Amino acid sequence: MRPNDRKYAQSHEWVKIDGDVAIIGITDFAVQELSNGNESDLVYCDLPDAGRVLAAGETFGEIESVKAVSDLYAPIAGEVLEINAAIEDHLEILSKDPWGAGWIIKIKPDSKKLDGLMDAAEYEKFVASKKH
Amino acid sequence: MDTWRLVTTWNAQPAFNLGLDEALLESSGAPVTVRFYSWKPGAISLGYFQRLADVPAALDARAVVRRFTGGGAIHHQRELTFSIAAELEHPLYRGPIAESYARVHAAVARALATFGVTAELRGERTLASEREGTGMCFHKSSPLDLVWNERKGVGSAQRRSRGRVLHHGSIKLGTTPLEGDIATLEHVARGLEPESFAPALREAFEAQFGVRLAADVPDALERGRAKELALRFASEEFLRRR
Repeated sequence: MRPNDRKYAQSHEWVKIDGDVAIIGITDFAVQELSNGNESDLVYCDLPDAGRVLAAGETFGEIESVKAVSDLYAPIAGEVLEINAAIEDHLEILSKDPWGAGWIIKIKPDSKKLDGLMDAAEYEKFVASKKH
Repeated sequence: MDTWRLVTTWNAQPAFNLGLDEALLESSGAPVTVRFYSWKPGAISLGYFQRLADVPAALDARAVVRRFTGGGAIHHQRELTFSIAAELEHPLYRGPIAESYARVHAAVARALATFGVTAELRGERTLASEREGTGMCFHKSSPLDLVWNERKGVGSAQRRSRGRVLHHGSIKLGTTPLEGDIATLEHVARGLEPESFAPALREAFEAQFGVRLAADVPDALERGRAKELALRFASEEFLRRR
């Protein structure tokens, strides 16, 4: 079961509210799809500058695995406060700990309401529907 | 039987080629679109994330562009380039990236087989075409790459954006000085031009995917968007972004 302390987007990002900050990352399913289970397959990422204002659903970054470049989408609106610089040179952290050390950005959310996103159980069903 | 669009543009300018591919990637709701094309001049394209300085051959080349797909640099000469744009949920692309590669490569291998070439996924073998320090796509490989004669013969990459996917592939018909000892069709069809390989690839796609490829052109919106995007691909700023 995936963590229940956060919400999930259909584009496989998660968002967790921590005080006045929203922490955003990508799920284990996204990592698996990108890397085919091989953590060294994640090779590059581009992340936004602090201060950038993101709309919900806007592309905030890009990630390259050995065989595909994919967009990263903001599940909610807000201003970028911090990026996780540690992952830029060590994308394997996303494979090892997508829920903790593998966070990608922290934002100051426009609202702490996470309407329209899925909880863990809903995301579980959503992911199951994506499998063959 | 589904009908997919087939857009053919031989000897097109590098920035136009990339602009049209990205326009097709963005073209939500469009039928699956296959492109066969070639390049004039035969440019070097860098992978989206590559540093220009990491591709020595690009530093003094006349025509260099940056792709929106990842991977290494390709010298687009003596090759047929293809792309396939479709929804992420299309059976061609649905599921793990590796499986989508296997589907596309099965079709490409089928076309190569008509020329007597047995192409296979690289798997865990080591290739004779590997080279360090060139930044070239054909000098580096992954288990998903199509190989024959123990060398890489098809360069490929995908871009996934807004629920859609574009798969790029470069099928080498002959060698280029910058890529050297790689797998090509030179030994079975000397001097083969992309226009002459295209019918076999078309038939293989139709047979493998169970569809009909209907020759078509991009619609007015796609053409307009391709022109806009081509400006970005022609810009020094985009080329030198890394």
